[in-house]
Amino acid sequence: MGKDTDNAGKWQVLALATLGVILLLLPQLVRNGFALDIFIRILLFSFLGVAWNLMGGYAKQLSLGHAAYFGLGAYTSTIMQIDFDISPWIGMIAGGFVAMLASLPVGWLCFRLRGPYFTIATIATAQALMLIFLKFRDLAWGAEGTTIPNLGSSPLMMQFETKASYYYVVLGLLVLGLVITWRIERSWMGYYLVAIGEDEDAAEAIGVNAPRIKRHIYMISAFLTALAGTFYVQYIYFIDPATAFSFNISIEAALVSIVGGIGTLWGPVVGTVLLETTSALLQSWLGSSTGGIQLTVYSLILMAVILWRPTGLMGLFNDIWQRHLDRRPARVRTSP
Amino acid sequence: MLETVAQAVINGLLIGGIYALVSIGVTLIFGVVKIVNFAQGEFVMIGMYVSYFLATYFGVDPIVSLLVSMPALFVIGVLVQHFLIRRVLGPNDMPQIFLTFALSLLLLNLALLLFTANYRTVHTSYSDEAFHFGGLYIPEAKLIAFVVAMALSGALWAFLRATDLGKAMRAAAQNRDVATLMGINPNRVFCVAFGAALALAGAAGSLLMPFYSAYPFVGQVFVLMAFVAVVLGTLGNVLGALVASLMMGIAESLGVQFVGADSGLIVVFAMLLLTLAFKPQGLGGGRMR
Repeated sequence: MGKDTDNAGKWQVLALATLGVILLLLPQLVRNGFALDIFIRILLFSFLGVAWNLMGGYAKQLSLGHAAYFGLGAYTSTIMQIDFDISPWIGMIAGGFVAMLASLPVGWLCFRLRGPYFTIATIATAQALMLIFLKFRDLAWGAEGTTIPNLGSSPLMMQFETKASYYYVVLGLLVLGLVITWRIERSWMGYYLVAIGEDEDAAEAIGVNAPRIKRHIYMISAFLTALAGTFYVQYIYFIDPATAFSFNISIEAALVSIVGGIGTLWGPVVGTVLLETTSALLQSWLGSSTGGIQLTVYSLILMAVILWRPTGLMGLFNDIWQRHLDRRPARVRTSP
Repeated sequence: MLETVAQAVINGLLIGGIYALVSIGVTLIFGVVKIVNFAQGEFVMIGMYVSYFLATYFGVDPIVSLLVSMPALFVIGVLVQHFLIRRVLGPNDMPQIFLTFALSLLLLNLALLLFTANYRTVHTSYSDEAFHFGGLYIPEAKLIAFVVAMALSGALWAFLRATDLGKAMRAAAQNRDVATLMGINPNRVFCVAFGAALALAGAAGSLLMPFYSAYPFVGQVFVLMAFVAVVLGTLGNVLGALVASLMMGIAESLGVQFVGADSGLIVVFAMLLLTLAFKPQGLGGGRMR
């Protein structure tokens, strides 16, 4: 058994290194703009999923309102850039802190409810924020939104001429998210989170300060989500409340995590690869005109996962791997 | 001034009747089956399309098409409960939330694919009629919708109180295990509860049709209202949901009248957030879950 895990560890490092090299070289090999755009989307939504998964996956606080922090991040950096000429790199971090602060009152309200009603309360807060940005023109351009001035090649202002540069930025974000998740997973906090996710009352009974842990993980999750928001509006050079606070952002963050494997390090990444690839194939096959087909397919995949494999694709891979391990000793015994 | 307030209250009360049908369905499912049906709004949408197509192609009055939409949605509800919801009942929240959520996404996007995003309306002889009392006016279509909605709510309430099946439903809501020991078949009770809730949603759809447009996203307006009303009226409490829905209709209407056209939703969210902050167990009292 010891040798098996050693071997597995070695294989994991090797696989990770290979994956890293492939991801770093990808934009050099693929120059097609459409393909690069899909890669950027995959990395961005993986990152969003990773941020959601910290709270939704490990602590099972199933939020459908993460668009609130995506939007706050996007608006903070854009307002700082347009009104005060401050680089979005700084705005991105500032947006993260704004989101972190906002998560405190939102959490205070929403954590009063459990299960599905927590989910509903998060939807309502994100929608309420969108309405505020729609309604108050003085705050930030109202419903029309604004385009972000294109400065040409200006890396200090997070503007690049090639899509490859954006690719590396969002790849960096994803690595950051994965490293944070990996660290938390292996810390006392990770165990507390899983305990809360399994049974909050039982966790509290054995001395876990559940409200504090939930508050902390919500802050981290909100911070990371806000970074994604800044990146996204910088990438598309446009911001309005409907884009920045889109319910689809909240949905996608949760969806990729559940389809990939809720509460696992790689789940959101695996889920995004499957969903975004499916969506890209559908788009090239049917053309982009058929509204609704993408989410129809997504919802069917989600239903299939929940009914047949609630642990997601990661659970499926683990089962296959376990079966492979189980089969091996039998083979050793039969062949002397 | 007083007249404006009175008019806004009347408008809110009338639409509140429709909200009540939706939120009673949500609270019934929550009380008996112990899940939140995120797809409830989409069943209102289906009810609207049923009435729309019956009216457009067969000339059936939307109110009469209630006789089709309610049984049809009852059957859909039984099927959804039996083939989907039953498989995810248990202590784990995640599959329940995201199964009904997936169902909502699926129905909404199927409607978008099949019927496009166009707004569809039905014009009836009474769509533009109204009763006048002094300076106040009461649109006929909305009044009919309100009266029928109240009648249906009352019928459900009587059903839960007076019939054996209704009592079995309330028993299963109070304690599923003991109810099972007393010989109540939980799956049958759940199927009836889900069917009844969806029939109410279908009724809401049909009643809306004479004065409201059908489009794929229409359910989301009503389901958000219903969720807030159900929290406000204490989860699982039918009478609480009814009263809260009427209150929310009035609050929304006053918000539109005095704050601005698109501020109705802000008022509703503010009510939800205030409820959560100060009275998270709802106005009906009692335990949350």
